[in-house]
Amino acid sequence: MNTIENIILQCKEATANPKKAIDDFYKETGKKSVGCFPLYCPEEIVHAAGMLPVGIWGGQVDLNMVRSILPAFACSIMQSVMEFQLQSVYDSLVAVIIPSPCDTLKAIGQKWSRENVPCIQFVPPHNRQLKAARVFLKEEYKAIRDKLEAIIGEAISDEAIQESIKVYNEHRQVMRKFANVAAKYPDIIDPVSRHEVMKSAFFMRKEKHTALVKALISELNTKEVKPWGGLKTVVSGIMLEPTSVIEVFKEFNIAITADDLAQESRQYRVDIPEGDDVFDAMAGMWQEMYGCSLAFETDKSRVKMLREMKEKYEADAVIICMMKFCDPEEFDYPIIKKEMEYHDIPLLQIEIDQQVQYVEQIRTRIQSFTEILQESK
Amino acid sequence: MQEKQSSREMLNYYLNKSYSDAIEGKKRGELVCWASSIAPCEFCETMGIHVLYPENHAAGIAARHGAEKMIQYAEGKGYSLDICSYARINLAYMDLQSCVAENIPLPDFVLVCNNICEVLIKWYENIAHELNIPFILIDTPYNYEDEVSERSIDYIVAQFEHAIEMMEEITGKKFDYERYDEVMKMALDSSYWWLKSMELAAAKPSPLKGFDIFNYMALIVCMRGKSGCRDTFKKLAEELQERIDNGIAAFKEGEKFRIMWDGIACWPYLSHNFKTLKAFGMNMTGSTYPTAWALNYKKGDLRTMAKAYTSIANNLSLNAQIDLRVGTVDTYHCEGVTYHMNRSCKTMDFLQHEMQQKVAERTGAPFISFDGDQSDPRNFSKAQFETRIQGLAEMMEQKQAQEEK
Amino acid sequence: MYTMGIDVGSASSKVVILTDGKDIKASQVIQAGTGSSGPARALDEVLKKSDLVLGDMDFVVATGYGRFTCDSARKQVSEISCHAKGIFYFIPTARTIIDIGGQDAKAIRIDEKGIVKQFFMNDKCAAGTGRFLEVMSKVLEVPLQEMGSYHDRAAEASSVSSTCTVFAESEVISQLSLGIPKENIIAGVHKSTANKACGLVSRAGVTEDIVMSGGVAQNPGVVKAISDELGKPVVVAPYPQTIGALGAALYAYEELIKTKE
Repeated sequence: MNTIENIILQCKEATANPKKAIDDFYKETGKKSVGCFPLYCPEEIVHAAGMLPVGIWGGQVDLNMVRSILPAFACSIMQSVMEFQLQSVYDSLVAVIIPSPCDTLKAIGQKWSRENVPCIQFVPPHNRQLKAARVFLKEEYKAIRDKLEAIIGEAISDEAIQESIKVYNEHRQVMRKFANVAAKYPDIIDPVSRHEVMKSAFFMRKEKHTALVKALISELNTKEVKPWGGLKTVVSGIMLEPTSVIEVFKEFNIAITADDLAQESRQYRVDIPEGDDVFDAMAGMWQEMYGCSLAFETDKSRVKMLREMKEKYEADAVIICMMKFCDPEEFDYPIIKKEMEYHDIPLLQIEIDQQVQYVEQIRTRIQSFTEILQESK
Repeated sequence: MQEKQSSREMLNYYLNKSYSDAIEGKKRGELVCWASSIAPCEFCETMGIHVLYPENHAAGIAARHGAEKMIQYAEGKGYSLDICSYARINLAYMDLQSCVAENIPLPDFVLVCNNICEVLIKWYENIAHELNIPFILIDTPYNYEDEVSERSIDYIVAQFEHAIEMMEEITGKKFDYERYDEVMKMALDSSYWWLKSMELAAAKPSPLKGFDIFNYMALIVCMRGKSGCRDTFKKLAEELQERIDNGIAAFKEGEKFRIMWDGIACWPYLSHNFKTLKAFGMNMTGSTYPTAWALNYKKGDLRTMAKAYTSIANNLSLNAQIDLRVGTVDTYHCEGVTYHMNRSCKTMDFLQHEMQQKVAERTGAPFISFDGDQSDPRNFSKAQFETRIQGLAEMMEQKQAQEEK
Repeated sequence: MYTMGIDVGSASSKVVILTDGKDIKASQVIQAGTGSSGPARALDEVLKKSDLVLGDMDFVVATGYGRFTCDSARKQVSEISCHAKGIFYFIPTARTIIDIGGQDAKAIRIDEKGIVKQFFMNDKCAAGTGRFLEVMSKVLEVPLQEMGSYHDRAAEASSVSSTCTVFAESEVISQLSLGIPKENIIAGVHKSTANKACGLVSRAGVTEDIVMSGGVAQNPGVVKAISDELGKPVVVAPYPQTIGALGAALYAYEELIKTKE
């Protein structure tokens, strides 16, 4: 097996079995793991403690127990997360950190049963351009560090966090580079592999992932860039899952040339700025964040950003991956739709529901969309 | 305004006035602001800005059965039927500028306080973006712990100061601190009389038809800083006290049961809901509304004001929300609770399960929940509501029978 | 030359045989869809009707929900494209297509060349689909095919929810027990279906000529309700149920020409 295949396989294995990742890490280092909820969780604090920050992104699971505690119209991802929690899937974690930028996450943080796994909840401020918001978030991050220290019974120094910030910034840069390089090789990095490389970052230490992705980029750069006969798209939303849906992209020869997904490139958009005060620096990153439905901006720069991404990467279309029942994303859609129609940019919306078993409906929509695009080409 | 007018007449007079003042004012070139229902009204009032409340407006449209048309327009634009129906109605109104209720003028800027939910942020973000107008935000971070943190208060106070700056820029006028003092006094007074009149409803039998709270509420939302609001609730308190003194109950036939209504009203079905409850002898004496606008702070002290605005029910931890409801059941002597599983309001639904369990444990009051919507008439089934209310009546009946033994 | 289009839906299977990409030689509809014996029976019977065998078909295209399970097809094209093609064949002035089937509803916008520009679908919920009408037909004890004739007798349409089939059913039952005339309730049911469809149409943009296809287009009450709501005339495509299969047969012909070049 060549290096590229080998790396992708490692990524796939990490993503497929988070529990194994946690157990193996414990065996290797004697350190536990902390569950990090979406979005933009301050993983650097966990990393600085030498622990493994593990992404909590839900998954495909039959919703049974969660039905009695959460109505059906909560977003798909939180439904599966709550189901997993009720099934004790997260019991080996030493703690979870839950950011609460939206109403659903606010509730989830309160519903989280603290019997086995303590929860550290925090709120990212909305009034981001104000200095006071930065100060507030700095204090929130500090409180997270203090609470985590109390839970694990160990100190997490500012210096250690500073080192972790460096590791994370390097990772962000490498991931941005990967997205650009992968865009040139859709024949080698198909949509499923691309997703696995991206998502595996949540199931290993960032320095390890950085090394893997760097090696992958090196290998790719030795390959010949071939013309792509299929369609090129920019995908946007919280996430594009489950794999069976991504397989449909692959089936119809649709390349993901660039992504604006919270689970993938959005978190790598902005580096943590330089600064001696680590928590202030981390808060600075949220201040500078843009183009995300959870980051308040009357400019709604996401709309223009998607148009620019489409042009920059010479994509054929924009595909909105609408997380079922996600309010912030649902409010953005009509504004995006209006802009794309005005600029004659083909736009498709597909519904993302992690519990979906049969993808026939998505297949119909994607196939129809492909047919439309091919007719106009 | 005559001395002899009832609080009901005053309510209608002042509500209409708040709309007509804004409509006329806009024609004269005066500034109009759209604000969220528990945003700090003190600043706009000080600056002489006309404030309108889209939530009130949408509720009014829904109560007058004009919601469906607006909702369909919004959905035609691409708004999911999943999002808050107030937002769908209002965003449609922003385009259509015509409805079955008042045709309110579009805003020159918006003022949002997310103490009731985060959806407001996205809803108004779209308004500000589409109309290209300033957005004044008072972000009250969710109080996930049982106490409000100092850093939260620091942040909110800084936003109050920034809001004043923004308004000075928008109006081109300096913020009049003397006027501000007067306004705060009036707002505190209004809140005082609002709560006072609501608390009188706790008497047994209640002098107030519970559903009337849904009507009176509109005034405490939109006019806290004005004397008309204070006067109306003062009058209401007097009327209620008089009824209590004379043994006059709201239900002539007597209240068989007193219940708490948890959540927003189903505006398109107010009449149906009231009749159903009445048919089973139920008076809604308890709700989360009284405390929502019982904003109490030390006049001139931005820190206590920040704490007041951030400590609204929806913005509190689960434990604090449970305490609040237990307190309401207690204060208003409620024997049962009906929880509105409001399809449009995730904030008020997603902790319902835990709240129901704990409140029932601590108060012993039976409860039911029903599916509804604050303003989308399609998300409600009369038959379901009637069946479940009957179920609640039967449970309360059995409990009463047991207690008599 | 013969081409064949097979449309395997959730509730029915349709087949059309086209001669030289122009004339409809034969067509067949079986009210049994994907996963049943429907597709095979439809195929059998259309061949019998036309006195041909499968080997006589120069190209076969499948469409519909069950298109990927069709062994006899050489290519699968989505039902959106097939409905557009089928309708454009009959009505070249069509610009907005409303297709309401057994389990889904679609609004499709096409241009002057018959090419699909935009489409919006409801495929997740029964409200506004054939299934909704089936449920109501049972509750009202009026056969589906007669619902349309009741519509014109209605003095007014009663109010029936368009978001949730279960709620709507409960409303209809309540209205029946209150003695509201059946025709008024049926008009309400049709209005509710129209509501849902028009929501999709608004997203796609309404341009005349507006054409309906799919099984539900055979209900004149729904057609009228949609026309009333849009305030514009709505035309029902000829053979509304087999439009998709016709479109598939037309695509098959285009593929055939391509391979010969």
